[in-house]
Amino acid sequence: MTRLAWWLIRAQFLSRRSATALSMLAIALGVSLGYAIHLINAAALADFAHAMKSVQGEPDAIIAPRDSAGHVPRALIDEIARDESVALVAPVIETRVRLGRDSTAVRLIGIDVFSAAVLMPSLLPRDGAPASGGILDGGLYASPTLLDNLGLKVGAGATVIRGESRWETPIAGDLPALAAGEALLVADIAWVQAHFGPHAGVGELRVRLMPGSRAEAWRAAWAKRLPPGLDIRAAADNAARIANISRAYRVNLNVLALVALLTGAFLVFATQLTAVAQRSTQFALLGVLGLPPRMRLLQVLFEGVAIGLPGSALGLTLGYALAVMFTRVIGGDLGGGFFAASTPTIVPELLPGLGFLILGCGASLMGALYPAWLNRIQPLAQALKTGFAQRPPGDAPRTLHGRRVMLLAIVAVIPVLTRLPAIDDLPLAGYAAIALVLVLGIAAAPVATRLAFGAMARTTLPAPLRIAVQNVLQAPLMAQVAASGLIVSFALTVSMVTMVASFRTALDQWLDTVLPAPHYLRSKGLPLPRELLAALELPGTPFVRVERMATGSLSLDPRRPPVALLVRELDRADPGARLPFSGPVLTTPNGEITVWVSEAMQEVHGLRTGQTLHLPLLGRDIEVVVGGVWRDYARQFGAIAISATDYRELGGRFEVTDLALWPHPGSEDAARRWLAAEAARHGIESAESADIRRLSLSIFDKSFAVTYALEAAAMLIGLFGLAVTLAASVWLRARELATLSALGFDRAMLARAVVFEGALIALVGLALGLASGIAVGAILTHVVNPQAFHWRMPLHVPWTQVLPIALATLLAGMLASRFAARQATALPAAHVLAGAQ
Amino acid sequence: MLSVVGLGKRHSGALRPLFSELRLAVGSGEVVALVGESGVGKSTLLNCIAGLEQADSGEIRIGPDALDMHRLDETARAALRAARIGFVFQAFHVLPTLTVAQNIAVPLLLNRAPPAEHGERVESLLRRVGLAGFGPRWPALLSGGELQRVAIARALVHRPALILADEPTGNLDPRTADEVLALLLERVREQQAGALIVTHSRHVAECCDRILTLTPDGLECAHPAGPSQGGRSHHPEPHGGEPTSPPALGRGLGGRVVQ
Amino acid sequence: MRRRRFLLASLLFPGLAAATAATPYAPARRGTALEFPRDHGGHAGFRTEWWYVTGALDLPERDIGFQLTFFRVRRRSADALDSPFAPRQILFAHAAVTLPGGRLRHAERAARAGLGAEFSATDCDVHIGPWRMQRTGTGTGEHIRLRALDPGFAFELRLTPTQPLLLQGENGWSQKGPRPELASHYVSWPQLRAEGQLTLDNTRRTASGRAWFDHEWSSEVLGEAGVGWDWIGINLDDGGALMAFRIRDPSGATVHAHAALRDAAGRLTRFGPQDVSFAPLRHWQSPRNGARYPVQMQIRIGPHTLRTTPVIDDQEIIARRPLPLSYWEGLVRLDGDLRGRGYLELTGYSDRMAL
Repeated sequence: MTRLAWWLIRAQFLSRRSATALSMLAIALGVSLGYAIHLINAAALADFAHAMKSVQGEPDAIIAPRDSAGHVPRALIDEIARDESVALVAPVIETRVRLGRDSTAVRLIGIDVFSAAVLMPSLLPRDGAPASGGILDGGLYASPTLLDNLGLKVGAGATVIRGESRWETPIAGDLPALAAGEALLVADIAWVQAHFGPHAGVGELRVRLMPGSRAEAWRAAWAKRLPPGLDIRAAADNAARIANISRAYRVNLNVLALVALLTGAFLVFATQLTAVAQRSTQFALLGVLGLPPRMRLLQVLFEGVAIGLPGSALGLTLGYALAVMFTRVIGGDLGGGFFAASTPTIVPELLPGLGFLILGCGASLMGALYPAWLNRIQPLAQALKTGFAQRPPGDAPRTLHGRRVMLLAIVAVIPVLTRLPAIDDLPLAGYAAIALVLVLGIAAAPVATRLAFGAMARTTLPAPLRIAVQNVLQAPLMAQVAASGLIVSFALTVSMVTMVASFRTALDQWLDTVLPAPHYLRSKGLPLPRELLAALELPGTPFVRVERMATGSLSLDPRRPPVALLVRELDRADPGARLPFSGPVLTTPNGEITVWVSEAMQEVHGLRTGQTLHLPLLGRDIEVVVGGVWRDYARQFGAIAISATDYRELGGRFEVTDLALWPHPGSEDAARRWLAAEAARHGIESAESADIRRLSLSIFDKSFAVTYALEAAAMLIGLFGLAVTLAASVWLRARELATLSALGFDRAMLARAVVFEGALIALVGLALGLASGIAVGAILTHVVNPQAFHWRMPLHVPWTQVLPIALATLLAGMLASRFAARQATALPAAHVLAGAQ
Repeated sequence: MLSVVGLGKRHSGALRPLFSELRLAVGSGEVVALVGESGVGKSTLLNCIAGLEQADSGEIRIGPDALDMHRLDETARAALRAARIGFVFQAFHVLPTLTVAQNIAVPLLLNRAPPAEHGERVESLLRRVGLAGFGPRWPALLSGGELQRVAIARALVHRPALILADEPTGNLDPRTADEVLALLLERVREQQAGALIVTHSRHVAECCDRILTLTPDGLECAHPAGPSQGGRSHHPEPHGGEPTSPPALGRGLGGRVVQ
Repeated sequence: MRRRRFLLASLLFPGLAAATAATPYAPARRGTALEFPRDHGGHAGFRTEWWYVTGALDLPERDIGFQLTFFRVRRRSADALDSPFAPRQILFAHAAVTLPGGRLRHAERAARAGLGAEFSATDCDVHIGPWRMQRTGTGTGEHIRLRALDPGFAFELRLTPTQPLLLQGENGWSQKGPRPELASHYVSWPQLRAEGQLTLDNTRRTASGRAWFDHEWSSEVLGEAGVGWDWIGINLDDGGALMAFRIRDPSGATVHAHAALRDAAGRLTRFGPQDVSFAPLRHWQSPRNGARYPVQMQIRIGPHTLRTTPVIDDQEIIARRPLPLSYWEGLVRLDGDLRGRGYLELTGYSDRMAL
């Protein structure tokens, strides 16, 4: 019996090479995209985790300030060190500095070599210049990558700069144990502290417990004793933070890959359906000869797997190649910029590979399910005589009623799903709603085809066209299949285009509000030199107005990425002049500390305007009022804005990192020259708002390039599905066409009829696709985006893009049906009529 | 080989039954022709016997240990068909995507015969239907007569108890038709199977042992014209060109008409 | 004593370039009057200092040896640095337990003062994390508390004096070589009663025995000739105390030697280089680094001829922090004209560490 199955599979593949190959390719495409995304992400995360481990070591606990401006006080270090469960405390100060004139911000890690030797051996220095002494004599050590990048030499002097602090010290050696690609500096913690602070403590305390200690219980006990400005976390929490940074992005990419896989499944569906239709006589014969009905079902499923298995295997190979190529050419950076220079090694593991193989086969199997069922229920004697029966015999009013109830249920469920919150930060309900919209679109195809063709049948059409319409009305299955393929692919395209366009429009408007000044100066998180700030105070600068901003970060949840803290010089009475609020703005009395939070904060922490909030500011627990929620497309994990006045009143140091500058009217050129000179002198970045805007939009466009590629793939697959099903439907009607031809219709008339039919089907598909697409776009924009990325935006349907795509698809569909018609009518009518099968 | 008792069938929506209380039997080595006007229900009767259509009443027993086709489920009916029945169709129905040998081997596969025997059995049948050496050929390159010989080989390869043939010579020219028919009868008798041949051709009917005529009122039995010769040793002459006298029916196994 | 000169490898010496703003190391001056408890505290101006306790326990078993040593090393390169974490004083500690019939267990800690470690300048109170050595109380309430913790073993002991301090050399000024500037301040406290807990393999048991405390600080120590030394500190069975050392040159010849014997009645006898000699009787070779240690010695001190026998041969300590270093430091029995138990220290025998 398996031999027979194998004969049939081989015969099928040999007789329909291109359709089979394309189905395999479609599956391969979906699998390869998914697998490549998985591999790149896994490699980048492993790389990041490895790098983090080498820099951080593997402590049992990390005690760190929740405010980037905070510190771990000295007394606490001693207290923790004396704890009997503690084997070792490793204090660390990490800061970002510049070396001399170079504008690159470099990580400088201040270590205590005695504890680092145990906990962070990768950071241990190697002396390379005997005259400079060792690390305890204040030498600076650079990783080999950094030495290469900046063209530095061991033994040379270096000037380490942060804000107005400068430290002249020799580069005493390198960091041989550090992995290639890591650009950082290491020095003794005391020298770093003396030059760059923090004033009364260290930046972070890493703790190794005695073997056999219960780390979790120890952390929990200390968590209760720590002052409010500090939190204690496990090393794994840091890894989780990193994973969280890219999680939503990864899931979204994976969903897109899944979509590609689904379109592949659809193509298998179309191919297998036509295969079943074309071989209905053969299967009927085998049934008569005694092939069990179960085998008629299984045979089609086998064929699905036979497409899915090589397709998935090819997909895995392609995915691997794609991942290797991507990491070689672009690197493994996910956009965080942490290890931009690193090239993670792609390591394929058995289990995920197997998972994707199963996924691919599953998709293919899913596509073969309905055709297999249809094959199973074909009435044998009838099929043997008259060929494929499109209407399954059970298609009684009862099932139609059931279907209607199901559709109504879906319609009712979708709005509910869109209102459900994210699960574990993932918009799963949103994704489910999207799937249901697509199901709804496909399920509406039969009704829509019947309506469209029914309406056509009532009009006075030329005879061949009427015959074509009549034909579809009588045997609508192929038309429905062709239409649903278009519905899915066009819906996906429309939704993506809509989502991207909405986002881009919103981003464009947002940039207007957040870039009010013509010029900006920034220093990548380092404080700006005081010299420069002083120069701006002098009379005679070409600026009429300068606004200063300081950036920091707050850790509100140890397992989430930290939230940006923006200290800004803004008018407390009118914060709306600088922040793009998306809701009401509260005016609070002076003395009440007010913060304005970004939409991401609202989304993640469930904040509302007017509510009070406790923030770990400056090592203390400070109660603040939420004065409003503003839109922020720059910081996905949330941002909190506070006025510089409030911040200073709390005792914070306003270390300016960013400047917005307005030149005197008429002295724009002088301003430009002034800024260029200062930027060069201090190694900082100067940009005009137009440049920032252009750069932002180009980054945006680049990051959505993958989406566009997937859209194109979906569209192509949809069109190919249309062509396959149309060709099959025409092929199934070869005898009818031949009869018509024998009755006197000429070939052109017949071709026109088929093209007309194709166009009508395409129109139905496009109309439903457009409707579902806009619905999906709305869900993406209003549910998925806010939940996954914490970005809100108004819906914007880009008709100028959607309509041309629709038109092109319509034309392509007509072309496909014309091709099918030509093939069918190319055979001599007499031959077709004579041929019994 | 075949025994039908009390068979009745009415198409849904039809006013009167197509047939009812039919009774017929086909003995070992016996070839029975089923004739009748178009639409009288010959094909339906055949389909009911093959278990492709469900009769409304009656029993259909096929084979030595007399399994009732009527009482089995679809899968079991398929298995019974595969084991006990060989089919020959007017339209040949040779699978175009399998070679001649593969086509003939299909019933062996369906019966899970040991693969080692396939080649030999297929070869010997090919020889006996006069197609020695045709095994690797593709059906598209064969003539109608050759295709029907392939179909006959396929119908016999698993030594079924019953051969059901529906206008086996309908698509053939007279000369080829004679050859093919002679071959079919010879092989059926050789294998001691029973055969029921639906035909419009008087000539074909007269080659059979008995002729059953299906009318709206039931089955009528007749013996073919010509001198009756007892015994089963008389077979049609394959190359005689003339209708030969069918053998006398087997002892006590003649069909009866029951109203 | 100069016995730990070998510890002071390059890491702990200030670089040439950074030493400009530093104050010089304080010299060990002859005639300095020591004052207690102040001089139990750290002497930050000197280059090196250690607080050193060895002893033998008879509970929970006979002949269990233990030692806990805190070292302090001053570095001058960070003198001018304005930071509470400036690495001016480095502390490290070694702890070991010798189990008769078993093997030596050893643990170590290292840190800079100010980052999880500290020492007092006014009394003996030094800690690295939870490891600690602290003197408290006066008169009969006077104790030294020890604490060392490691996964392999831990002890918490209270040492109670039974005799007065023993100031080595001339009132605590101990000469280390032919030149007078080669000297240290050296205070011993023999015959301390030890009580407390010893934890082995997570089982805590009551412990008691006898201990010996040393405290020594110096700046200019070993001359060019010395490579290492042999040293003993023995609590005699009759209540007396014996300390002896010799400094060896690369050929194994004695560069300088000295001994002090205080009998049970408190009479102190000092012996000069001519009266003190060490002669190996049996060697034990380390399987780890191949060093051959004379674990059994014949020691002649004036009229007394003595013999040491180790409780077990393998009492080698291999430390890694802050730098790799190996030496033999173990519990021995003393036989011959005087009988007792105490510690023998053999340094400079490891090829790797040879100066």
